[in-house]
Amino acid sequence: MTNKLSYDIIGLALFAAVILFGVPAFFGYDGFELNTFSRYLSLAIVSMALALSWGTAGLLNLGQAATFGMGSYAMAMHLKLKASGEGLPDFMGWNNVETLPALWVPFHSLTFTLLAGLLIPAAVGGLIAIFMFRARIAGVFVAVITLAFLVAFQLLVIEQQGFTGGQNGLTGLAQLELFGWTVDIYATSFYYLVGICLMVALTVGLYLTHSKFGLILRAIREDADRTRYFGYNVANYQTVIFCISAGLAGWAGMLYALVLEFASPTYMSVSFSLAIVIWCAVGGRESVLAAAAGAILVNLAENRLSDVFVEGWHMMLGVLFLLVVMFMPRGIYGVIVDAGRALRRKGGGDAEEPAYDASLKSKQEG
Amino acid sequence: MDVVFNQVFAGLSFASILLIIALGLAIIYGTMGVINLAHGEFVMLGAYATWALQSFAGIGVVTALPLVFVAVAAVGWIIEKGIVQWLYHRPLDTILATWGIGIILQQAIRMGVGAESKFVRGPDWLSGNIEIGTLVMSNYRIFVIVFSVAVLTGTWLLMTRTEFGMKLRAVIQNRGISECYGIEAKRVYSVTFAYGAGLAGIAGALITPLFSTIPTMGTGLVVDAFLVVIAGGLGSLVGTAAAAMLIGEVTALFSIVINDTLGRIAVLAGIILLIRFRPRGLFPADTRR
Amino acid sequence: MAQLEVRDLHVVFGGLRAVDGMTFDVEKGEILCLLGPNGAGKSTTLDLICGKTQPTGGSIRFQETEISQMMEFQRARLGVGRKFQVPSVYKELSVAENLSVARSMKPGIWHALTAPAVRRSKRMREILDLVGLADKTEEPAGNLSHGETQWLEIAMLIAQDSRLILMDEPTAGMTIQETARTADIFRSLSENHTLIVVEHDMSFVRTVADRIIVMNQGTLLAEGSIEEIEENEAVKTAYLGH
Repeated sequence: MTNKLSYDIIGLALFAAVILFGVPAFFGYDGFELNTFSRYLSLAIVSMALALSWGTAGLLNLGQAATFGMGSYAMAMHLKLKASGEGLPDFMGWNNVETLPALWVPFHSLTFTLLAGLLIPAAVGGLIAIFMFRARIAGVFVAVITLAFLVAFQLLVIEQQGFTGGQNGLTGLAQLELFGWTVDIYATSFYYLVGICLMVALTVGLYLTHSKFGLILRAIREDADRTRYFGYNVANYQTVIFCISAGLAGWAGMLYALVLEFASPTYMSVSFSLAIVIWCAVGGRESVLAAAAGAILVNLAENRLSDVFVEGWHMMLGVLFLLVVMFMPRGIYGVIVDAGRALRRKGGGDAEEPAYDASLKSKQEG
Repeated sequence: MDVVFNQVFAGLSFASILLIIALGLAIIYGTMGVINLAHGEFVMLGAYATWALQSFAGIGVVTALPLVFVAVAAVGWIIEKGIVQWLYHRPLDTILATWGIGIILQQAIRMGVGAESKFVRGPDWLSGNIEIGTLVMSNYRIFVIVFSVAVLTGTWLLMTRTEFGMKLRAVIQNRGISECYGIEAKRVYSVTFAYGAGLAGIAGALITPLFSTIPTMGTGLVVDAFLVVIAGGLGSLVGTAAAAMLIGEVTALFSIVINDTLGRIAVLAGIILLIRFRPRGLFPADTRR
Repeated sequence: MAQLEVRDLHVVFGGLRAVDGMTFDVEKGEILCLLGPNGAGKSTTLDLICGKTQPTGGSIRFQETEISQMMEFQRARLGVGRKFQVPSVYKELSVAENLSVARSMKPGIWHALTAPAVRRSKRMREILDLVGLADKTEEPAGNLSHGETQWLEIAMLIAQDSRLILMDEPTAGMTIQETARTADIFRSLSENHTLIVVEHDMSFVRTVADRIIVMNQGTLLAEGSIEEIEENEAVKTAYLGH
């Protein structure tokens, strides 16, 4: 375990060095290039959030895009109000909404928005979790319920045009003013902001997986019933990790709305949720670092390849996903771990085997 | 009132198609525990196969049915052999794999045939209507209803009266012991998966004259069909049929009482509540598990 | 006041009366063995006490608290531990991690969030030495042999430190030496713990049991010391079918 912990700390340090120093240097500190990369980093946060619930606790949340979308709408609502000044947001006028809905009013406040983008998704995730886990819903049914919730939520957002902008989403947003600092998304400082958010999220994730909380979740993943007989309230543990995961997804959504300068119901689509699952699976769902790296790598590949194969990209993504599920169920992370183990066995094998024989012998004599 | 009766009839024909889709889904889930998220794409393949047969070979919808069944069943068989059979011990991964398969099939059609919608003509000899008072029933929809009852009966006979059905039920009860008695569970699984896929193909063929054929057509249908399976309870053909009727009618009536979107949201909420409170369905099979 | 008081316990599965009016007491520090033919309701009785199965009637009082309507984890927190018939360790977790899960004096989330996954304590070292797994702490439990797996499970029970331990056939598949060592461990456990053991191995029962209850068709057939049971006519009839 201590071994694993030191590997993860080294991994995090390397990751931080690449993201915070390597990438900006590679792009010559060019804000426009880095803007694309900050998009990947915000997606890495939602991918590592899924790794927490799916990889650690074995709860496959196919509705991750819903909580991600909530975060992005929270941010976009704030910026839309800012852009509209004293008046109503433009789309409300088109839909004959005459006064600002009560739901929108508190989003004038930046503090409220930042808290809402984190806490509303967490609360919604928590409610769904309580609803499911109190009834001991497990396995594939968690996937089905969260998927159904996602589809229903997206339909609702599209349906309520007057409140949400419907199919068009929220566009024409103002720039964020963060305690006196106007956030320019094409500046290197914005890239560092997103990068630091990712590092904080990863640190939280690593802390959780190495705590006893993470251990109990892994125990629940393997055998929930057995864990109950040790006195752990399984439903509470599952609920807390669902909350944390949903909150991180909401936070990622806020950053994503900033990067793209709009919020859209496509962020809550089934295919977006599937994409999150793909990033997480490709990187490796057992490790938050690997899941984050998976999101960055797949999006980087998509950026390079989708220009070449416009239609074919989705096909390639589907095939890649299928191959990973079938042949690399633990993702790139699993391949690295297995390779490391094989290397160690090869290198240290001569020293280990005699010791093993000796212990066997002493047992037989004793 | 006329609107209601006509809507009830439309709901009945929709329910019949839903029933065929749900039967395939239920058989696959009941036998192998695989939630087949590619099932909607099997329906879509059936629809495109019908379109292709009509536009390139001039074969009508009804004549195409057996051909479509065989074709889609073959696709299902290949997918089971190549992919699904390796994942039976990892149920969560089967969801992901079948999801991936669905994406690939959808994308393949989009790239090969195009994203724009295709139209299939209904058979001429079924083009008329039967009118009772103000109730107008199209002959084709009546045919769909009758045909789905025939499929249901056929499936029931297959499950209860044939050697294959006996083997299938044995494998569902206890795979290990069945294999000890010489039943090849792997073969039973492949054939069952192919049969379920074939049924989805038939549903896709039947639906072509009623709806437009587009690559994403299966996605919505599979959600409704899944609700039918959950509501109907596993291992109960009668339950599946009853649930299909219920959901077909509720959907049809919802769309006149409130709008379509809210109707769909209600259906999804129904799925969530059912799994939560009646995980064994509204009509559970009366056995001890 | 006995530590565990079971009164008129019933459970019905689809018309079958699996446990039909069981009444018995277990004193603190006692080793009680449950005997009986297959299907007599022995394991079901354990299931009812630990909460795996909900009773249809009757009461279970543990240390003067009524527990028959509680959730499993609540009973476990009060001090009811359970070992199942099939060895159930966490195969994907290491030996040390398995023990850490089992050490559940503080099962709350706040404690779990602030504690490391594995805390190397003196107590853990002692337990590992006792069962002979001290040199395998980092090994995933899935790589252990059958015998080692059973030792790990017993180590987990000791780590859990439940006041009442329910065991279902703890010596199944063990060699004679292993069984003897298990008997020793049980005797030393009973200084601080109460044990209810379902067991078929009569020589093992003879060495460890303070008292025996024989069950048949869900009811209590006989109760007493090993000598009393061996002389009991009703028991002979139930076992031999005369």
